[in-house]
Amino acid sequence: MNSSLAETAPLRYTPAIEHAIAEIASLLRGSYALRERTLALLLLQNDPEIWEEVRLQETPATFERIRALCERLQQESELPVAWQIEQQRQQWSQQIAARVLSQTAALPQPRTLADRIGRLCMNPWTGFPILALVLYFGLYQFVGVFGAGTVVDWLENGLFGQYINPFVERLVRATIPWRSIQELLVGEYGVWTLGVTYAIALILPIVTFFFLVFAVLEDTGYLPRLAMLIDRAFKWLGLNGRAVIPIVLGFGCDTMATVVTRILETRRERILTTFLLTLAIPCSAQLGVVLALLAAHPKGLLLWAGVLVGVFLLIGWLAAQVLPGNPTPFYMELPPMRLPSLSNVLLKTLARLHWYFMEVFPLFLLASVLIWIGQLMGLFGLIVRGMAPVVQALGLPADAAIAFLFGFFRRDYGAAGLYQLQEQGMLTGNQLLVAAVVLTLFVPCVAQFLVTIKERGLRVALVMFVLALGIALLTGLLLAHALMWLGVTV
Amino acid sequence: MRVCAFCGRELTQEGIERACKGCSAFGGCRLVKCPSCGYEQPQEPPWIRKLIEWVRHRRQETPR
Repeated sequence: MNSSLAETAPLRYTPAIEHAIAEIASLLRGSYALRERTLALLLLQNDPEIWEEVRLQETPATFERIRALCERLQQESELPVAWQIEQQRQQWSQQIAARVLSQTAALPQPRTLADRIGRLCMNPWTGFPILALVLYFGLYQFVGVFGAGTVVDWLENGLFGQYINPFVERLVRATIPWRSIQELLVGEYGVWTLGVTYAIALILPIVTFFFLVFAVLEDTGYLPRLAMLIDRAFKWLGLNGRAVIPIVLGFGCDTMATVVTRILETRRERILTTFLLTLAIPCSAQLGVVLALLAAHPKGLLLWAGVLVGVFLLIGWLAAQVLPGNPTPFYMELPPMRLPSLSNVLLKTLARLHWYFMEVFPLFLLASVLIWIGQLMGLFGLIVRGMAPVVQALGLPADAAIAFLFGFFRRDYGAAGLYQLQEQGMLTGNQLLVAAVVLTLFVPCVAQFLVTIKERGLRVALVMFVLALGIALLTGLLLAHALMWLGVTV
Repeated sequence: MRVCAFCGRELTQEGIERACKGCSAFGGCRLVKCPSCGYEQPQEPPWIRKLIEWVRHRRQETPR
């Protein structure tokens, strides 16, 4: 054996971890294939298979004692225990490597073009301009201008507006004699005229283009590099690069992204990320509709993005100050950068569209039916009249209250309501900007709210709901007045 | 072989089931979760699988 290796001291962890290892090892009585010390380390690293094995082999009282021990150590540690173990192992292996290896040449430079591009994506000087290009061409030009502008216009005003909807309307009015049923199907907020038309002619093309861009980004290996790039900025918000995963997924669907916050190490990070998802991350359909609304007002779109990023950073920073704790470190193995495969991209897009449509379509129909019931009972008008003063304080027409009411069902449904108002010529550029900002920051949709209750508890979910509503209205109010005082028109 | 779209690791059925244990969506989300990084991606619905098989079948049948 190499004498240098023999001189290396055996691996010892921090006193707190060593103490926990000894205590756990002394409690284990079952018959295992691994040594007690190894088992204790795996338990501290939260290995689900070992936990299951220990649950089966030990008495319930012993199992509970071990669990309490692990939880206590985690609570008393500032950093995640699993991460500390990994770090100490890495340092120890580096010590061994330093004794037996010597480096004579400089570190290898990236060999392939893909390696070079990958490094450029992570370097702050080049990574942020690359991100800006991705957002401009991928989101603004492709999803916003082409998908939400040209394609939606052709589908909604052309195919549905001129051919399909007039035909369905004539058919329903000719075959169904009851006026209320006619209203349910083809009225102003009917199942067909609102639910089906919004879902197929407005939301479907927008999410299709969004998912195409998303699949390309996934397939190239850009997303983990984005996580590395944003890691430092997220530390400022009390988070780390790992939070990029739920945040990026939130641009697809905030509800599922809220479930994904479980991957974050600490409760503090999970709460902070859930709140940022609730407040400032628009889902794909909402993002697409907002891009469609503001595509004709580039200055407005820029202001919308600026206000959103500002609120994201400011509220994120404030929330991180209020909640005690430190950000945890982030590390991950990077997959190689590669050229996206067309079949992969198409498959992923189709699978996501199927998933999205199954989620969104029944909810759109349900919302139409609920609005119809509300109209029959006079509740709809009552709520809209009740919300009118708030909406008017934002400098918006009273009818915009309808869009906000829709927003309680689903955010994209609310944004689609704004789209209708804009098509009727009821909103100026400034009003459109204020309404888009308020609706983006608005309360979570019903599904996201329910999942937040499940994941974070009723109290936290209610606090987030109230804060999001307050911040959305306050930001809208400040923006409307700032635009007026500064004489800015978009 | 199916891989995670985020971290590039291989996704096995066992790993997917382990990652989804105890989720509040109760499996009704039609998503696949990576056990390594937690990233979620949609499952391929059966009709897409059938479509792929049909395309492959057509390609094999077409004389070159």
